[in-house]
Amino acid sequence: MSHPAVELDGIWKRFPGVIANAGASLTVRPGTVHAVLGENGAGKTTLMNCLAGVYRPDEGVVRVHGEEQKFSSPADAIAAGIGMVHQEFRLVPTFTVAENVVLGAAPRVISQSAIVRQVTDLAARFGFDAEPTRPVWQLSMGERQRVEILKALWRDARVLILDEPTAVLTPQEAVELGKVLRRMVEDGRSIIFISHKLDEVTSFCDEATVLRGGETVANSVPINDVDATELAKLMVGEVESAPVPDRVTTPGDVSMSVKGLKVTDTRGLRAVDGVSLEVRSGEIVGIAGVAGNGQRALTDAIAGLETIDAGTISVMGSDVTTAPPQARFAAGLAYVPEDRLGVGLAPKLPLAENAVMREYRKLRKGPFLSWSAASKFADDLVKRFGVKIGRVDLPLASLSGGNLQRILLGRELSGEPDVVVASQPTRGLDVAGVRAIQRLLLEQRDAGTAVLMVSEDLDELLALADRILVMVEGRIVGEFDARTASRAEIGESMMGAQA
Amino acid sequence: MKRLALARRETPTRGGAPAAFLIGLSFALALGAILLTISGDSVIEVYQRMFERSLGSKDVISATLNRATPMALAGLAVSIAATMGLWNIGAEGQILFGATAATFVGRLFPDLPGPVLIVAMLLGAAIGGALWALGPGLARAEIGVSEIITTLMLNEVALRLIQYLQNGPWKDPDGFSFAQITPRPEQAGLGDIWERAHLGVVIALVLIIGFAWFASRSVWGYELRIAGSSAKTAAYAGISMRSKILGVLLLSGAVAGFAGGIELSGTAVRLNENIANGYGFAGIIVAALALMRPSGVALVALAFGAVQVGGVSIQSIGVSSAVADILQALILFGAIGATVLSNYQVKMVERKVAV
Repeated sequence: MSHPAVELDGIWKRFPGVIANAGASLTVRPGTVHAVLGENGAGKTTLMNCLAGVYRPDEGVVRVHGEEQKFSSPADAIAAGIGMVHQEFRLVPTFTVAENVVLGAAPRVISQSAIVRQVTDLAARFGFDAEPTRPVWQLSMGERQRVEILKALWRDARVLILDEPTAVLTPQEAVELGKVLRRMVEDGRSIIFISHKLDEVTSFCDEATVLRGGETVANSVPINDVDATELAKLMVGEVESAPVPDRVTTPGDVSMSVKGLKVTDTRGLRAVDGVSLEVRSGEIVGIAGVAGNGQRALTDAIAGLETIDAGTISVMGSDVTTAPPQARFAAGLAYVPEDRLGVGLAPKLPLAENAVMREYRKLRKGPFLSWSAASKFADDLVKRFGVKIGRVDLPLASLSGGNLQRILLGRELSGEPDVVVASQPTRGLDVAGVRAIQRLLLEQRDAGTAVLMVSEDLDELLALADRILVMVEGRIVGEFDARTASRAEIGESMMGAQA
Repeated sequence: MKRLALARRETPTRGGAPAAFLIGLSFALALGAILLTISGDSVIEVYQRMFERSLGSKDVISATLNRATPMALAGLAVSIAATMGLWNIGAEGQILFGATAATFVGRLFPDLPGPVLIVAMLLGAAIGGALWALGPGLARAEIGVSEIITTLMLNEVALRLIQYLQNGPWKDPDGFSFAQITPRPEQAGLGDIWERAHLGVVIALVLIIGFAWFASRSVWGYELRIAGSSAKTAAYAGISMRSKILGVLLLSGAVAGFAGGIELSGTAVRLNENIANGYGFAGIIVAALALMRPSGVALVALAFGAVQVGGVSIQSIGVSSAVADILQALILFGAIGATVLSNYQVKMVERKVAV
């Protein structure tokens, strides 16, 4: 047979402090849909960016249709027939579909009607029902994705990379996408399908390559030959879980209880779909799951930052379902949001103003704020939580992630909460920062606080949590005892495979 | 891959802005000298006259102060809205309607004693300005309509309203066939306090300093800074974005309207369609040059006023109005550009790639 459509061999890509790809390989046969699987941080996107000319690999060979390529820009990759649809779309909202499709690759003399006709023809060839004269801002996310795919086809991409294409789609749209992909494959094109949803991979793809820790752990496995359990195992590996620290106390009464919670996100999709959970005093409950399965909406809704469609939330026996965020804080609910600088802290404001954000109402003196009390509060925070800060009057933005998280968590803990909800509290921190934050959470547990912790790092959850709940598509689909559960069985549940 | 790029400084250099202002000014004056040489005017004579007629004597300094006052207030108005990331492009219209509201109060109580009437008229001006910002404020807070468009459009409405009033209901019966509005009550004039400078100069200065101080110390100012940081942070801290957006636009409008009241009682004798005189738009430039900090608008407005007064003065020694305009623009642009750039530094950065 002919050359593989794409051959990546021994790709290394290092970033400061991180090795994203450590000798990863990938072989895609022409005329197939090839899945690239892996957990967050497994190096999928980096590897694809090396193929699409966004990055230049430090080592390794890129071959497209048998020819070695050294791309120095995405334009080179496009010229070689590689198209990529990124997770964030790159469209001009005020332009029409046709204008977006031909943008940057239009003929010298542009005739609107000719372009509209050609784009319509192109769309029809692959079974799209595109409306070329509609402006892109009117389109749904699924329709926009089709425009992105058309863009790549317009440039005659022989290899199309789709980075988590179904993340923005409704289930029906995902099925439609599957049909379009089939058409393209029948046309002799090849598709690389990045995903971590196993059910899609098994229904859309012909072969799969699995990445873990920047390396290829399974190369071009025919989908028909493996089952979902095996793929899940390959993705998460069989790492021995870290020893659980000795407990000092046993969980007490229920501190927070969430019943039948439903939340709709900004896209109008149901992000949280009937979640019920309880967290007891002196217990850490972990929420495991692949990013984008409703974790953020769940914690935001508990903290009062999202509108709730249905369900109840109670903290220490009092119903806070409709209470504003500051009232929930006063009721004993602390929240460490995932987005430290966009939600939890105001990066342009100095430490003192950030430190009192939750309780400034108590420092009121007539129309004024007691700034001496605010800076004393900030000083205490710095001392108690070991924040390393130069000048306290400078904006927070210049601080490191670890210090920011100490300030944020410290502020939330200074109200002596009964319940702490922490979303991705250690993500992006250096080792020292991770340890400090984990230690604080364990101290809280030992002091009898109820902790609900969302993390994408399964090892972290296995080490810290007492119970682990798995969240998939807005629902809790599994509950595990962190002491006895294996990484593989939780991983399998995370991937949506039927246990 | 490395390249040179302009990056925002994490912390502004101390004294960087004033230094950059002076350097930018010198650069603009040098460019202006070339222009004047080409146009055949005497560089030294023109610059000398510009200075003399704007800052050269007590008399002209006091005139410059009067001119700077409404621009400083308009600048304050714009910078207040900017603390929330909002653009009040309608200070011009708010000045006009503020002055209209003050005139209305004057017509309602023409016999009140001077001080009482002045206070009532200024209050009316502030309320009028706030009223002119109410629509844009509500539209922005409740349904997210861009305040830039709505405030801008209302400028024209305020202008037409005054034109209607001066041709109709408020037309001066003693103005013969001339369409002008009846003068405001005489006792409602702000007295001169130093040379030609009227009391409004001091009132504006007190207002600006007072606001800057209040915003930095008060709970209200603090909430504004949080809300201006991000809507999500505001929600997290339990601050209502809607009430903050509405409040800040109302206050911004009130300050601009107040400027209209000051103009009516300070320099004008009657409401007319030129009473705003572009001060509302100048206020946007003033606020930008002051880097949207309320504390900076007074100084910038003074510089702006001097440039304007100086620019007008050189036309009487034969500099064409076009050249005078270019010269004004050069000086402002040079100073703005340099001051804004002082917040940036040139450094080598890694070529940015999307991940």
